[in-house]
Amino acid sequence: MSSRKKALLKVIILGDSGVGKTSLMNQFVNKKFSNQYKATIGADFLTKEVIVDDRIVTMQIWDTAGQERFQSLGVAFYRGADCCVLVFDVTAPNTFKSLESWRDEFLIQASPRDPDNFPFVILGNKIDLDNRAVSAKRAQQWCQSKNDIPYFETSAKEAVNVELAFQTIARNALAQETEAELYNEFPDQIKLNANDNGRNRDGDNCAC
Amino acid sequence: MSRSSSVEDLPEQCKDLFTQDGVLLKACLGRPVTDLNSIGMLCIVQNQDNSKTIEWRPNDLITIDSDTQDQEWAVVNTIGITMSFAKGRRQRTLSGNITSDYATARARIIKIPIEELKTFRVTRNNQQMQFSTKPGVWQTTFYFQHGNAEIFVAYLKNHVKTAKTRHDRNTYVVVEPNIESQVLNKSFAELDIFTENTTDVVWNLVSNFKQRPYETTMEAFSKLTDIVYYGNEGVNGKRDVSEEVVDLLTKSMNAMEEATTVTKSDEYEVISVKPTLPPRPSIPRGTPLSPEKWWALQDTEGRITEVEGVKQLIFRGGVAHSIRQCVWKYLLDYHPWHMSNAELKALTKKKTEEYFSMKLQWRSMTEGQEARFSEYRDRKSLVEKDVNRTDRTHPFFAGDNNPNLVILQDILLTYVMYNFDLGYVQGMSDILAPLLLLLGNEVDSFWCFVGFMDKIASNFDMDQAGMKHQLLQLQQLLTFASPELANHLAQKDSGNMYFCFRWLLVWFKREFSHRDIMRLWEVLWTSLPCANFHLLICVAILDAEKDILISKDYGFTEILKHVNDLSMCLDVDKILSTAEGIYHQVVSAPHLTDQIRIILGLPTMSNSTSTHSGSDAPTTSKSETNGTKEDQGTGMFGQEMDEDTLEYNGLQICIVTKTVWALLA
Ligand SMILES: Nc1nc2c(ncn2[C@@H]2O[C@H](COP(=O)(O)OP(=O)(O)O)[C@@H](O)[C@H]2O)c(=O)[nH]1
Ligand SMILES: [Mg+2]
Repeated sequence: MSSRKKALLKVIILGDSGVGKTSLMNQFVNKKFSNQYKATIGADFLTKEVIVDDRIVTMQIWDTAGQERFQSLGVAFYRGADCCVLVFDVTAPNTFKSLESWRDEFLIQASPRDPDNFPFVILGNKIDLDNRAVSAKRAQQWCQSKNDIPYFETSAKEAVNVELAFQTIARNALAQETEAELYNEFPDQIKLNANDNGRNRDGDNCAC
Repeated sequence: MSRSSSVEDLPEQCKDLFTQDGVLLKACLGRPVTDLNSIGMLCIVQNQDNSKTIEWRPNDLITIDSDTQDQEWAVVNTIGITMSFAKGRRQRTLSGNITSDYATARARIIKIPIEELKTFRVTRNNQQMQFSTKPGVWQTTFYFQHGNAEIFVAYLKNHVKTAKTRHDRNTYVVVEPNIESQVLNKSFAELDIFTENTTDVVWNLVSNFKQRPYETTMEAFSKLTDIVYYGNEGVNGKRDVSEEVVDLLTKSMNAMEEATTVTKSDEYEVISVKPTLPPRPSIPRGTPLSPEKWWALQDTEGRITEVEGVKQLIFRGGVAHSIRQCVWKYLLDYHPWHMSNAELKALTKKKTEEYFSMKLQWRSMTEGQEARFSEYRDRKSLVEKDVNRTDRTHPFFAGDNNPNLVILQDILLTYVMYNFDLGYVQGMSDILAPLLLLLGNEVDSFWCFVGFMDKIASNFDMDQAGMKHQLLQLQQLLTFASPELANHLAQKDSGNMYFCFRWLLVWFKREFSHRDIMRLWEVLWTSLPCANFHLLICVAILDAEKDILISKDYGFTEILKHVNDLSMCLDVDKILSTAEGIYHQVVSAPHLTDQIRIILGLPTMSNSTSTHSGSDAPTTSKSETNGTKEDQGTGMFGQEMDEDTLEYNGLQICIVTKTVWALLA
């Protein structure tokens, strides 16, 4: 049954300005780190083919500007996301504190069909630096408290855990896709399920 | 108000299909000089035998009923097109005044049978139109007071099929006269039904749109003409049809848009019929403002008096690199144009002190202060992050511990103190980098940066209202200038134009090399030839990609990718030239809307008061022309067309519009 599933995964990377979103994306896609990347203005994406459980899938990774005031325009790109990657800088506590609002903002704007089970992945970046200010333990705890979001400590600069993190992102996004397909194939069942659960959201009935 | 007795029907059973007033007879073979230079109106007339004539009638033959006139304009305004065709009416004179004057005046009417029309051309920036029925001779020349000959052309093209010669884009060759005579026959036959059973006719017309949009439009137009020129009384005293006709017109115009075709052959291209945009003039760029000219433009005290002339030169060709350092300070409002060297020296001193006192404010902050001042700390941290990723591939900013990065950062932090509420917003470092690169000097760069920021402050609004507004305006401009592309974008969820966000936020900084961005910016800083010219730059870039975007059926993501990938692949001079061409197309379009006028900073029609009445004295002087709507800004032209060149210290400066049209002629 897996052969006919959609092979494009849309991934959104969010986080404060300067945490390393663009660098992580480039490290994963182009296997390069550069000090010369420019600050992101507007939005852009890169694509990469990956193999997950013997399947070839294309990841379309979206990168937007991190400064708060640009978010109202960034939301145009959230639609149809299969996974959301939240990034913070382990040397900057503020960027860690922002995670919660990035997550909420995404859920509100992208309004995925099943927000409670929408796949997020958290990346604590720049672990190559000495002046670490957010401990792995603290980050881990927060992730557990949020429905066990997978957490990775990365360095875009030294390519630490980047590949592993994006493999997980692809896998979780794919799992999400599979569920979406099931919903689409059996629209009646959704209604039933939704009613069973006692929460009948509009999104559940929508076969789109 | 009432239709006067027999005089009313004097001109046989002729009908005016279109009339335009404010047209001066400039030259006519075989006419006495006394006939020339009088004002009148130019009409397209349908004769009893269905042949058509272009007629010019002197104004002393026409009396205009102001009541009717208002009404007629009201009809036109509801459909959002403001063309004077609705002003068509029969010749009327005050009753009882049929004197010999009238007969004399009638003898002065000039008639050109459309069947015989061979060529016509529009010159002098839409102010002059010439007709010929014999190759090689322009028999009649008319001067359009309002500079709107293109409107007449647009309507004339409804009646004749024209072609343009390759070498002269202003000359039209008539390839087929009387294209729609059958249609008109039919539509006039239907007129009777029209008053009896409107819905039937409307229905017939509507059902015809898809198959015969052109003919259907003609029918609608002819009906509108009829209704308006019979005024209140209508054909049979019935008048409620105007709304339907308006509706009809709007629909048929849309249908026309879809049906428009351009057929190209080797020698000429046949352009279809409707109020689409006039052809795009190709306007070559000029040479950069040279040091010699620049120095010559200053008086002995160093003042620059011919500011408009300078700006127009810069608009045409930019600034030679060697004098950019100097000229940019003026363009960015750091140095006032009219200041003498001595005054500038004093100003520089003052501004230098002001800069350093602001710099001291953050320099003198202790670590403890900073620790307790989170709003400053946040701004500072944003600045530091962005400075490290600003143009690092350029030698000026490359490498570790580059001192220019320190200056870049100092200026941005000082700007935070200068405008703490705005603070630092991403994109600012991109704006500053080329300024610092060019000026080299910290203080000058700062004040020029302030001047640039003043021009684009709304790009950085907290709620992004300024950006959203511009994206909307861009969408509206594109819809007008490149409807096919706008339509495609709308279908692909891209009507919000978000993919142009980066272009607008930092004025194309990311799309061009440093060299090219300097050229583009200095041209844009002149604010010529209209407001929001940077949006026309967007339209120019997009229009060049139109075929790819549409033929490949690009969707939301592909459009964004394609647009992002244009970065560093764009030809700045070509784009400037295209944008200027589009500007001329847009402003001379017969169907130009107030919405577009507002975006481009032109006066709107709704508050323009100029309607020429029959009482206008004949005039040839251009200053008279300026007394009408042009001088409210339409408007570069109005005044500047008076003078070919500006003389200054023995130096000649061609005025931009003049130059352009001279190049086009
Ligand atoms: N030391 C270190 N620096 C990094 C790392 N990732 C990014 N950076 C730097 O952090 C700054 C911001 O990175 P960028 O990818 O542009 O962040 P974004 O705004 O989230 O896209 C840049 O100067 C990068 O060179 C990392 O893993 N380690
Ligand atoms: Mg980025």
